[in-house]
Amino acid sequence: MEPIEIGLWVTSFLLVLVVVGMRVAFAAGLAGLVGLIWIFWAKFGYSPDKFGKALTVSVKIAGQVPHSKVSSQALSLIPTFILIGYLAYYAGLTRALFEAAKRWIAWLPGGLAVSTVFATAGFAAVSGASVATSAVFARIAIPEMLAIGYNKRFAAGVVAAAGTLASLIPPSAILVIYAIIVEQDVGKLLLAGFIPGAFSAVVYVLLIVGIAMVFKNVGPPVTGFTWRQRFEALPGALPIVFVVVIIICFVYNPFGGDAWGTPTEGGALGAFVVFCMALWRGMRWGEFKSALLETAKLTVMIFTIIWGVLIYVRFLGFADLPGAFSDWITSLEMSPMVILICILLAYAVLGMFMDAIGMLLLTLPVVYPAVMALNGGESVAAADSAFGMSGPMCAIWFGILVVKMAEFCLITPPIGLNCFVVAGVRDDLSVQDVFRGVMPFFIADGVTIALLVAFPAIVLYLPSLAQ
Amino acid sequence: ATEWNVSVWGKRRAFTEHVEKLAELVSAKTDGEFTLNISYGGLSKNKENLDGISIGAFEMAQFCAGYHRDKNPSITVLELPFLGVNTLEEEVAVSHAVYDHPAAQKDLARWNAKLLMTSPMPQYNIVGTGDPRDTVADFKDMRVRATGGIGQAFSAVGAVPTSVTATEAYNAMESGVVDTVAFAQHAHLSFGTINRADWWTANLNPGTVNCPVVVNTDAYDALSGAEREALDSSVDEAIAHYLDNYGALLAKWDQVLEEKGVTKVMMSEEELAKFRTTAADPIREQWIKDMEAQGIPGQELYDLVIKTLTDTRAGN
Amino acid sequence: MAGNAAVLEDGSLISRLDRKLLHVEQVLALLSGLAVFSLMLLAVVSVGGRNALNAPLPGYVDWIEQVMPLIAFMGIAFVQRDGGHIRMDIVIGALRGRALWLFELVSILLILLLMLALVWGSWSHFTRSFDFAAPLWSRDSSIDIGLPIWPAKLLAPVAFSVLCLRLVLQAWGYGRAMVLGLENPPAVPMILDAAEQAAAEAEQLVGHEDDDAMSGQG
Ligand code: NA
Ligand code: NA
Repeated sequence: MEPIEIGLWVTSFLLVLVVVGMRVAFAAGLAGLVGLIWIFWAKFGYSPDKFGKALTVSVKIAGQVPHSKVSSQALSLIPTFILIGYLAYYAGLTRALFEAAKRWIAWLPGGLAVSTVFATAGFAAVSGASVATSAVFARIAIPEMLAIGYNKRFAAGVVAAAGTLASLIPPSAILVIYAIIVEQDVGKLLLAGFIPGAFSAVVYVLLIVGIAMVFKNVGPPVTGFTWRQRFEALPGALPIVFVVVIIICFVYNPFGGDAWGTPTEGGALGAFVVFCMALWRGMRWGEFKSALLETAKLTVMIFTIIWGVLIYVRFLGFADLPGAFSDWITSLEMSPMVILICILLAYAVLGMFMDAIGMLLLTLPVVYPAVMALNGGESVAAADSAFGMSGPMCAIWFGILVVKMAEFCLITPPIGLNCFVVAGVRDDLSVQDVFRGVMPFFIADGVTIALLVAFPAIVLYLPSLAQ
Repeated sequence: ATEWNVSVWGKRRAFTEHVEKLAELVSAKTDGEFTLNISYGGLSKNKENLDGISIGAFEMAQFCAGYHRDKNPSITVLELPFLGVNTLEEEVAVSHAVYDHPAAQKDLARWNAKLLMTSPMPQYNIVGTGDPRDTVADFKDMRVRATGGIGQAFSAVGAVPTSVTATEAYNAMESGVVDTVAFAQHAHLSFGTINRADWWTANLNPGTVNCPVVVNTDAYDALSGAEREALDSSVDEAIAHYLDNYGALLAKWDQVLEEKGVTKVMMSEEELAKFRTTAADPIREQWIKDMEAQGIPGQELYDLVIKTLTDTRAGN
Repeated sequence: MAGNAAVLEDGSLISRLDRKLLHVEQVLALLSGLAVFSLMLLAVVSVGGRNALNAPLPGYVDWIEQVMPLIAFMGIAFVQRDGGHIRMDIVIGALRGRALWLFELVSILLILLLMLALVWGSWSHFTRSFDFAAPLWSRDSSIDIGLPIWPAKLLAPVAFSVLCLRLVLQAWGYGRAMVLGLENPPAVPMILDAAEQAAAEAEQLVGHEDDDAMSGQG
């Protein structure tokens, strides 16, 4: 059998394992190992006495992958970003942010909901994980909205949707994972997330203000804060500013002049600032220990999928499936843009049933080379490309698009995790309530994605400055 | 038909042209009976290509000695600072002389690997920002991105070698994490460090990395006579193609320097001599001592390099 | 997709073994967490040293690469214990009783098979980098400051072996549940439906929020 056919069989085997509920990391690792054994045994002519040799070679190849792939400086950003998020809870940053946002902008129509979006966007700048962000704001923001007569479904929808901002606005674990898989510059990808993240937030805000103006009972404005009260609320939110400035400046210096260091250093120093803040706020060993354990759990979970999937990817390398897939994609008689939109729609469907990280890790090794080929290759110049951007820029643009798709899937039924978390935090809300409340934000996200596709400059402006 | 998998990394570039040429020649000479499938990173990580050869995952691979000095101590003689190699032709001559030495072959035999040919790299001259540094004293406190033996040499004259990966080198230079970066010309071009540069040391020639192409010994022994002949006889031609190709790149280099207004720094022979005595001599002596302690004939390997260099120059 | 789940405990032998192993797993996971913290300190030392003393941490990248396996592997059994490795549970979540335990058992045995292979493979990766005869026993060293890599490579087979113990225990737990027809077996993670899982996740954050409130205006 040809390696490519083996590749297709093993990929089907992997999908079956995932669907029947095997843990994704191990399903991918097992599929990869089985595939390697098959390829090598085929190479040795399937003779029974050579099976042992095929097994040995394959096991040794697979056994290299975990150590080899996790020993990477770029991947060290993931645990750092996760730690920042956990420490931020202890530093009291969430409540401080919401309080500040409320005092400054709750006078708008739908004011508390708007404040929630802004506070979440701010928190997103220290948190790398969407689900945790929604959980925290469900506890802080929903009670206040309900207290002044908000529709409870609407309030829940706002929190579930706003939580998705955490993965676009850096720091973002999922953007780092994308960068690793496709071997692109992590710093530029993180930078690229800022404007689309802020852009998504603005679209949410416009939607909320619109709804609040049309349906007067949905979200009344909150007024009456004095300027003194407003300024008093700022210091508590200050560490966010520190962290954002540090991370930006270590990637790209917006004030002109040199950046201050590397993304790795920026992430770690950001964590250090939040750590000091948490200590100052009274964090003790017990809390610190649980922050470390929670960080370890989430990190290990992510890393296990990473190396598991990379065993499968190593097998794909021997089977040359990605090459065959991109040859097939580029041979299609359709415009590249139509194909790209089909790919994004496929992600929307897949995302309804799969976790974002698992989905990206499983699909990107095959899909990413195809998209790059569609644009005209890794090193194509903007003028010769299908999407009007150079190879590296296309990698960044597509990364932001798929991450936005993956985030979109966090709020779509049937398994929109953010919605489950919000419902789980609030006893008075059912999952159905949250899904109904989040519905308008589908439209907002749809608009955002369409605009990001139509105007790539929204994504590419910042990274092109850092060239 | 015999099919070999070849593991290299990155993208197709000057650094891999001899492997591409080799594949072309071998296939042509055997009427497509013996083919090399070159994979850019699909089969292994670059630092683990020797492991892959040892396992039998693929039949041919490229790696650099400096990626893992303890895996291949003998051939790190070629990465000692200030060996005095000036051209790619000289680099090929000294590399192949060392590859033919029994000590190097024994060293690589632990990985079931047979040294086939080198990937000659030019000297890792540095690009820097600010005022040109053309004396040894100027190197004091200079933050330089340089690894291994070259890093040690700079450290010996008071510079501060700084760890950044090749892909972060541009960023590190832009952010002042380093003042200077040591790379071969093609890497200065592809990692963009030349775009930040005010000057480039044209004759410092601090040393280079050595990146052999090896084959799996069992696979090599299993080749038919005709196939082995096709492979062996193509090496020189593949190297010649590599040199032509890199030569074109070097010609372009001068043009790039001119366009970007980068100063070519020429150090005086006196300053170079100062650098050599401070940096090169102690590092070499230490290296020889370490090798002899492991039972590797360090002195003999070093002498072989120097003798080959002299012979090559005499031959020209 | 679901991660977290609950593990029931009782006085049975398997549950006591489960808790013994849990202690080991927790220590290893905390080691992972401390290693993350050390990344932060490394950066502070490196940036601080560079800017204040013109003395960057030598081999900063090498050190990060050495710490990463510690972070990535040590907690792997701890996460498996709670059923924290993500999976799609639409199909398996619809099963009940013996059918469910059978599916879980088969899945665990397949994972065990993979992990035994990886213990072998990663051990062989380690042995290629280790040599009693070499200086520092090292046959593989880092690119910049030449740190021996074998200690980091050894972490993979060690952590994977602990995971194999955990998998044997879980296979036993599911097998026992299947044979005895148990409703709520101990020592294995129970599937929670998405709502229960979300409640559990939220509960975990309650603690954080209380601290938040306690620490003043927050
Ligand atoms: Na974020
Ligand atoms: Na979903």
